[in-house]
Amino acid sequence: MLEPFTLPFVQQGLREILLLSVGAGVLGTWIVLRGLAFYAHGVAAATFPGLVLAAGLGFAGPLGALGVALLFAAAVGRLAARGERGDHSTLTAMVLVGALALGVVLASDVFPLATTVNSLLFGSLLVIADRDLVIAAVTSVVVLGASLALGTRWLAVGFDREGSRALGVGAGVPDAVLLVLVALVAVSTLTAVGSLLAAAIMVIPAATTRPWVQRMGRWQVATVLLTALEGVAALWLSARTNAPPGATLAVLAGAAFALSVLARAVAHRRRDRTSRGASLDLSQSPAGAVARG
Amino acid sequence: MPPRAVSDHGVIAPHDPTPDPSKVAGQAGASAAPAPESAEVAASASARVSAPDPDADAPGAAARGEAVLSLEAVGAGYDERLALHGVSFAARPGDRIAVLGPNGGGKTTLFRVILGELSARTGRVDRSGDVAVVPQTERSRLDFPVSALDVVLMGTIAGRAWWRGPRRADREAGREALAAVGLEDRASTTFGALSGGQRQRVMVARALVRRARVLLLDEPYRGLDTRSAARLDELIVELAGRGHALLIATHDVSQARAWDQVLCLNGGQVAFGPPATTLTPQVLAATYGGELLRVGPDGELAVVAEHHCG
Repeated sequence: MLEPFTLPFVQQGLREILLLSVGAGVLGTWIVLRGLAFYAHGVAAATFPGLVLAAGLGFAGPLGALGVALLFAAAVGRLAARGERGDHSTLTAMVLVGALALGVVLASDVFPLATTVNSLLFGSLLVIADRDLVIAAVTSVVVLGASLALGTRWLAVGFDREGSRALGVGAGVPDAVLLVLVALVAVSTLTAVGSLLAAAIMVIPAATTRPWVQRMGRWQVATVLLTALEGVAALWLSARTNAPPGATLAVLAGAAFALSVLARAVAHRRRDRTSRGASLDLSQSPAGAVARG
Repeated sequence: MPPRAVSDHGVIAPHDPTPDPSKVAGQAGASAAPAPESAEVAASASARVSAPDPDADAPGAAARGEAVLSLEAVGAGYDERLALHGVSFAARPGDRIAVLGPNGGGKTTLFRVILGELSARTGRVDRSGDVAVVPQTERSRLDFPVSALDVVLMGTIAGRAWWRGPRRADREAGREALAAVGLEDRASTTFGALSGGQRQRVMVARALVRRARVLLLDEPYRGLDTRSAARLDELIVELAGRGHALLIATHDVSQARAWDQVLCLNGGQVAFGPPATTLTPQVLAATYGGELLRVGPDGELAVVAEHHCG
């Protein structure tokens, strides 16, 4: 049953996913809370041409990816600072598509890399280098520290932006840090889930746990645990069935999310039924007088 | 003299140091006759605004001391045009000041100037204490995983170094602020699960935790049911009693009559003074323009309800 975990390359993947789940889980709650899911997906996808360039020119992949991701973060951050709220999604989508196209053209026509494109796009959790572990660990520590230091500000600005400004809580620097952190985590998840499936580890677990917790701290703990659990399960499944681990993780995360939404809907319906019974009782009492105002 | 002299800037109000309360009381009835004449009659009979002795109007006002906020000929705007001009008034501890005006009349601009978010293009703003705003609760996110205490603690962020979370002293101050608005038992309730009136009071607590002396309430009665509105009335009296100066943006003219001062804005300052003498049909007409209706057997003035945000 557990024999896949005796294999060294699976153990390496296990370490990677456990280290990643801390940073990705904690930041995931902020991504969901602040509505940055599409940005997170976009910044991860935008790293693809950076990875191709790095592989083609022979420098470190994460470096190329980080460069492109930070460019992307700076562009979105400048848009947000100019106050053009709302329609970043169009631009994000265009950059995302452009980045993918550029990466594919580079990989097929400039560098002979067509065979590695698959692992760049969807990750290779069973081929983890020590360097990847270091990146994951550093990223998790940075995210934890930033979340402890800036969390109350991220929360206040998201809760009511104008009110926060009036309270003397500036949005500028904390929000810029948040965008950069998302880029950083996206880069650190690349080896595990690739450019295209980053949302499976950065966004979906946090969205899955969200309906069940009503406090930030508990939400973060639950999300880290779920991310780790899904990662371990995906590793085991892919080692057993020889399925690609990144895609397996994405499918598992999606299934867990669907279950969560379904269970929530059932719980709501049950609660509505009981409260409807209660309100029927109320309507028979002479409570109409309350409505005179 | 300086703090009181400001009400002389009231554009419409004629100056008369001896207002007659009995005539003021008859004002609504006097406007029963056809509109234009009656408005003038009522105005000439009772609208002797400005500079009454504060003691005659609000007991204990003299003991309330110096103004905590005073504006002199303040003008402000977002482009070349001034959205607000000629605003001069002073708020003392314990003052409840209604800020009346149509949407786009400059209430929001005035609040932003007082908060220091927007600098005054003309005139001067003097604050002798912290100012905090109580925004409309519908602007905040009900789906956020925060407790009432978490929301109150947002008011303490600006006082800390950026890497610090709320400390024990902050939490205690937060609980005190919640107790001050009667919600000490709701500190750990999720914000979105509170009633509209309770959410409003949490926002008041968030302003109180900053120890602000001047509180700006942005349409606090919007969306409240009768009971919550009555509870808010009590809270406003309590806060004034504790020495806060309150500026309350509202559309409800009858509510404004119950408070100490009224500031009428329509692009500029139309009038400022005690409601009994300030809220004349003339002033209301100048404040609200065409948005005024005459209703009821006594031809009382009413402001057409507005459903969009200013």
